[in-house]
Amino acid sequence: MKWVRKSVLSVLSVVLLAGLLAACSNGEEGSVDEDGNWTGTITIWDGPRWPDEDENKYHWLEAKAAEYEEANEGIEIEIVQVPWAEMGDKLGVAIAGQSWPDIAPVDISGSAVSIDHIEQGVVEPLDELYTEDELSDFYDNAVEAYTFNDKLYGIPNSITVHSMLLNLDLFEEAGVEPPADGKWTWDEFVETAEGLTFDRDGDGEIDVHGFSTYILEGYYEAWPLFYKDGGRPLSDDLSEFTFNSPEAVKAIQDVADLKLELGVAPETLGGNDVGGTFQAWANEEQRTVAMEPWATWAIQSAQSAYPTNFMVAEYPVGESGKPVTIGGVGGWIMFGQDSDPKKEAVGEFMKYLSSTDEQYTMATEYGIFPARKSTADMDPYAENPQMARAQEMTKDVVMLPRHPEWKKIDEIIQGKLQVVFNGEKTAQEAMDEAQEQIEDLLSE
Amino acid sequence: MEGNKALASTAARDRDLKPPKKPSYNHKRSVWREMKKNYASYLFLLPKLTLFTLFIAFPVVWALVLSFQQYQVNGSFFIGLDNYIAVFQSDAFMEALENTALFTAVTVPFNIISSLVVASLIFPLGKLSQNFFRSAFYLPTVTSMVIIAMVWRWMYNYDFGLFNHILGWFGIEAVNWLGQSSTALWALIIMQCLIPFGVGIIMYLASMGAISNTLYEAATIDGAGAIKKWFYITIPLLKPTTLYLVLLSTIGSFQVFTQIIMMTGGGPDNATETLVHLIYKTGFRDFEFGLAAAQSVVLFLIILVFSVIQFRMLRHDE
Repeated sequence: MKWVRKSVLSVLSVVLLAGLLAACSNGEEGSVDEDGNWTGTITIWDGPRWPDEDENKYHWLEAKAAEYEEANEGIEIEIVQVPWAEMGDKLGVAIAGQSWPDIAPVDISGSAVSIDHIEQGVVEPLDELYTEDELSDFYDNAVEAYTFNDKLYGIPNSITVHSMLLNLDLFEEAGVEPPADGKWTWDEFVETAEGLTFDRDGDGEIDVHGFSTYILEGYYEAWPLFYKDGGRPLSDDLSEFTFNSPEAVKAIQDVADLKLELGVAPETLGGNDVGGTFQAWANEEQRTVAMEPWATWAIQSAQSAYPTNFMVAEYPVGESGKPVTIGGVGGWIMFGQDSDPKKEAVGEFMKYLSSTDEQYTMATEYGIFPARKSTADMDPYAENPQMARAQEMTKDVVMLPRHPEWKKIDEIIQGKLQVVFNGEKTAQEAMDEAQEQIEDLLSE
Repeated sequence: MEGNKALASTAARDRDLKPPKKPSYNHKRSVWREMKKNYASYLFLLPKLTLFTLFIAFPVVWALVLSFQQYQVNGSFFIGLDNYIAVFQSDAFMEALENTALFTAVTVPFNIISSLVVASLIFPLGKLSQNFFRSAFYLPTVTSMVIIAMVWRWMYNYDFGLFNHILGWFGIEAVNWLGQSSTALWALIIMQCLIPFGVGIIMYLASMGAISNTLYEAATIDGAGAIKKWFYITIPLLKPTTLYLVLLSTIGSFQVFTQIIMMTGGGPDNATETLVHLIYKTGFRDFEFGLAAAQSVVLFLIILVFSVIQFRMLRHDE
């Protein structure tokens, strides 16, 4: 009897351990049926998008998955809901543990997936997915963002740009005219900001400031202003740090001086409080800043969650004589696959999500600019002049440098910029210090 | 007398002072026999032991191995001490170490002394009042640091934060507490100091209850006042508790992370960068897991050295 009990307990322990290990293991790779079709589960990660009547922010992807499953018997789509704020960290952990999903939405410039990962084979090339003719329907800069060593590593589905958002109620309150067509020079911008800085309640304290923005690693709202005189962080061949060039230093100091010298920006200019900065511009109970640069999502937010009377303007033009903005490209990427049949099936589902019609839905419902020319031709912003104005700026987009060490370079630059905006160092001093640290990274 | 001396010296010289030899037996067999005898107990331990091995022991050993490797998704390889050399050559690591050391050097003594003083003030109170204050001071310990950090972030807000509001009453200009390199780390230190060290208060209260009243009575008879009794009876007898709390608090301070990521992100310009936040960035932003593992091992060694020093200095028997 004793040995029976012992054996049962031993078997139970082994089963428990095996179960635990099985639960930690990666998903199955599926199988190929007699017709040569792959069957199995495709795992896709996505963040919340626009809500339906039940406040479900994943309804679009759920509907697409159901349609695809119906059309492709034997294929099951597993959707993993991941908040956008956690997407980078979770993908990083998944990559480290080699338990990545099949598909995930990734802005390949400076995100969780880096050039290192592409070099290590974590991301699948997708050149076979589209013919050259099909690929020509995507904007060149969108395709370039996902191209590395002449291979395509993702399907672009959106382009984002940064633009200046002007609170027209505050313009009216201050009696200041907004720029015609949203185009202006730096001097006109400064003059406007001065006019928009005023004491609202007559207590001798400034209540409303003309301009504000924040400085934070991975965020580039302020950067087009640093580009205004032609300055760029790195040389074109990515071998030299150039943000300490005279044109870059002057532009950085000009923006910092909006607070330090001219007093047309609040003390929080150049801080790291993203939410607080937006609330100061959009929240009806605050409205203490008249002009702020934001990415595209803020336009949607000012049209829905924080209804604001606003207009979209370009960044002011500096000595370079050309308007500049910084953009990003979003899209779907496919992670490493073990079998060609599955890779093909996953690729087909990615294509299904990236069609002209789906990008149109995304543009009208989710407020992102399509990466397909055919979608743009459908004029998704015919009834949304603010988004239409921002979309015009995509032609002025300058992409961030694609250096493998960009995240570290960015951290150093943004840290030094914070010190400039605090008034603790001049732009020249701070950028010279940045150069010392960044040159090491560039020479690695 | 002479005879006794001779006897004593002979006895001391000839006496076998070595401990008796242990009876020889097969040690391995004995352990195995012992395990077999109590197999049911080991089976009960098995689930916990399995989880401990899988989720604690294995990651720790793996981190140690990883610290000697160049991490690659498709197969890491050994690079000897390169990661450790990189750690000690890194300005970022040294800056983070300095910040963490300052944070620890200020917050640990403050927390220990303040919890001792608070516990001493609570201890003489009636049971009801004691329970009330005990709960009140322990409350922050069961509150998420994320929530506490969010509230403090609001209190440090430049435009409408509590601290600048108070400064305004005295006509002092508002301070950009978390935005200035010169004030950001001190703002975090002040926050850490002002959050009651609940565990310390509870532990001190429990230990004070264990001190015999006769000592205080004897001191009273000898004419000692309350302050003298506190310094000469309470504090020395609380030494083991103090040692435990100092160790606990030092380890916690060296691992400060939540406040940093929630309030400053290590900025401005690395002014509030700490070791654990740096390790997190190295691992999960830069995906340099080998380097991050080496940084973790160095942090472990630093904490170990500090713990040993503190243990030796505050040991009860000295």
